[in-house]
Formats: sequence, C-alpha cells, structure tokens
Amino acid sequence: MPERLTPEVIALLVSRDFADGDIVNLGVGMPLYCRRVPPTDVEVLFHSEQGLLGFGPIMKEPPPGHKLQTAGQQSVHPMPGMSFMSHDESFALVRGGFVDYTVLGALQVDAEGNLANYQRPGRITGSLGGAPDLALRARHTYVMMTHTSRDGEPKIVERCTFPLTAVRCVDKIYTDVAVMRIEAERVLVEEYAPGWTIEQIQGITAAPVAPAPDMREATLA
Amino acid sequence: MIDKVVSSFDEAVADIPSGASMHVGGFGGPADWPAYLIAATARTGIDELTISCCNMAGVGPEAFAKMIVRMTEGASPVGWNVAPDHVTVALLLERGQVRKGITTFSTAMRGAMKSAFESMVEQGRTELELTGQGTLSERIRAARAGIPAFYTPAGADTPWAEGREVREIEGVRCVLETALHADFSLVRAHAADRQGNLIWDHPSSFNATMAGAATMTIAEVDQIVPLGDLKPAEIEIPGAFVNRVVLRPSTPMTSWREAH
Repeated sequence: MPERLTPEVIALLVSRDFADGDIVNLGVGMPLYCRRVPPTDVEVLFHSEQGLLGFGPIMKEPPPGHKLQTAGQQSVHPMPGMSFMSHDESFALVRGGFVDYTVLGALQVDAEGNLANYQRPGRITGSLGGAPDLALRARHTYVMMTHTSRDGEPKIVERCTFPLTAVRCVDKIYTDVAVMRIEAERVLVEEYAPGWTIEQIQGITAAPVAPAPDMREATLA
Repeated sequence: MIDKVVSSFDEAVADIPSGASMHVGGFGGPADWPAYLIAATARTGIDELTISCCNMAGVGPEAFAKMIVRMTEGASPVGWNVAPDHVTVALLLERGQVRKGITTFSTAMRGAMKSAFESMVEQGRTELELTGQGTLSERIRAARAGIPAFYTPAGADTPWAEGREVREIEGVRCVLETALHADFSLVRAHAADRQGNLIWDHPSSFNATMAGAATMTIAEVDQIVPLGDLKPAEIEIPGAFVNRVVLRPSTPMTSWREAH
C-alpha cells in the first residue's frame, strides 16, 4: 500500500477551507493538529467549549499555573480580541449557528453522514463532550481521523454500528488516505493521497465510494 | 450588613446531607475546579450523592498514586485531571460517595485507561446519565432562569437521548430536555466580595453557569476583595446567585485529608 498522510498534512488540507472571520472549533485528538500548523494571513477565531473564543497558538512550555487552555487541555497563548464567556453562552454560540467549522474525531462515520464518536466498543460508558451540538449546528462538520482503526477495521461504513453522537451531520471526511464528501448518501472521493487509487481506498472502506467528478491528487499548493 | 464569607471549607459544606444533589464546576485544568470544596465534601463522608459535572473523567488520588509508581519515564500526568496539589470530582467517585453522575465526559481521554467513574459504573456502584455539553449547560441555565423545560436538536434519534419526547419544530427534530436544579452548587471563581459578586480571570465554564442553579451556591475563590473593588461591568455573576464565599489558602493543599 502507498504511504499514508501524516496528521500535520491532513491538518493543512483541512485548514485550506478556513477563511477570514471564520469561527472554528477543534475536537480533541487529531483535529488539534489544525492549531499546530503554521499560521497564515487568514484571521480565524478558534473556539473552545468552556467559553473561549479567539485563542492564540499552542504554548510549548507553559509556565506553572498557566490557566488558558483548550478543551483538549493544551495551554495556549492569549491573542488580541480574545473573549471569554460562560459554558451556557459558549453553547448558545454553537447552537445558534455561529460556528463555521467544527473538526471532530470519529470512531465511525457512515454514508448518511451519521457520526459515532462517544462510546468505544466493549465499554459501557462514554464521553460526548460538546460534539452533539457542534456536529449538528456548525455550518460545516468535518471529521478528521485515520481511515482505519488501530486493528485495521474500516471506520467509514455503510451504517454505523457504534452508538450515534448525532445524525446526518458530517459534510466531509479527512483521513490519512483521502478527502471525501458525503453527498446524497454517497461517499465521494475528492482527493486521494499520492499513490493511492480509488480501488485501494475502496478496499479499506466499508461503504461504497465513488470518485467525485473533480477527483484529484491531494496537494497543498 | 451582607456578609457571605465563610471562614472554612469544612464549615461551608457542613450542611450538605447524604443523598443531596450537587452541581460541581470544573472542566480542564486545576484553576477550573472548586478543589477545596470537593475535598471538604469528601471529608464529611456523606454519600448517595447525585452529581452533575461537565467532566467526571478523572482518576482519583488513590489510582493516581498507583499510576505514578507505574509510570514509565517520559509519561506526563497532564491531561489526567489529577495533579498532586489538587483534586477533582473523581475523588468523590473513587471514595464511593456518588450514587449517580450526570456528565459529558465519563471516560478517560486515553482510551486504554479507566476513569474512577467508569470503574464504579462497571461495578454497579454508580449510575451514569450521559449527555452533551450544550444540553447540560442549558438544563442548568434553565434551572437558574426558571424555565422548566426546552426543546433542543441535540440528541434527536440517538441512543443517548432515548426516551425523551421528540417533536419536529420548523422542520428540525428536537428533544424535550428538563431544567436541572440542584440542592447545592459548588463553583470556583477568581475573586469575590462580601456580597458574593464573582469575577473570573479565564473562561468561567460551568462555574458561572451553575452559580444560582441550586438552593445553595457556594463559591471557592482565589481572592476576596473589599466591596466596591469589583467594577459593576466586570462582575460576571452577581451576588444574588451566590450564598457563600470561601477563600482558598495561599499555600496549595498537599492532601485532600487536611482540614481547611
């Protein structure tokens, strides 16, 4: 099999869509790489669930007692224009439709755009975090994840078998082998990692995939 | 004269009975948690508590101590919600004081680890009600605002919101969620005055949301300032929502067992 993309490269692919003034919420795990990629001229406001809007880059060595953190518990720098709000107001912002992009991790996504990311198989408890409101109410809901699980199982499936966080909410899926969009209950490949063919992608995907009309090799240019 | 300042944490929580319902603030780092109030609650030994708290995914001090022993070089406790000098609601879970938890995080961030909550649920000692942060924060806000229930899109057609009344409103499937009031709210703020006005120096998270959503709201603060020092426009939570204020000691606690 050809090489897979690194999380840094996937983060750069996701970040191409962010435009001036967009509000972006990043889920825990791989989506946090989107705050690590080099800054651009685009003025994006990053939102974190506990009521933090417009935070700065991740701090490499936070001083003891540093309080400014993301929901993923990474210490971040303050930024001019940054604002704080209570948790209920933070979700008024989410539910009210002010978030332009949410980038979430997933255990499974299916061809209907259903999202399962709160309970691992074999466990009787789980963690929803802020995902239900973010997934349903952000203008664009992106999933960023590895294409297959640690055991090699497909994570993109025809119908999710894991419990659903939210229904019919995922627009696009960014994995280490492809960029896909969900359209009319189909998974369309927009971009593929260098060297990958649609047949190879289908081989590790449990939902039928089809090439988008403008399918191309993923590029950061 | 209005004076809501209580002189010790043990005094502040002395009237919380077994079986009480409690909102407990707290989200990520140590500055988000009413750690001394939680420790004082643990010391009372009360149990059968129903606790609503955004993040119940931590490990308790006993599990943490074992983990430190097992930890290989390079591993860091950051993100596990337990530093040696502070505690989270996981302390009450680990000690078996919680009958039911209403939360958005019940599992540890690292999938292979188990939180105190998850272990208790597996043993059948604690009940879990899992919900999302938008729903939990609005249920608590609604309780303070006197709104008995509301419809929200989150949870429609998912197992975690199963059993709720579903209604289509303007083409969107919504579930009916009820206000979540508690007997006690334990919150953490940066500064207070004797009237109970509260300010924060970083996002207030559930601490501000929970203030006033209970019969008795107790605030743990870094500073108590003279009345008039807090500017009206910077007060995030007015004292009307707060019943008691307790000052954190300047030296951090070394063990939750120490009286404060």
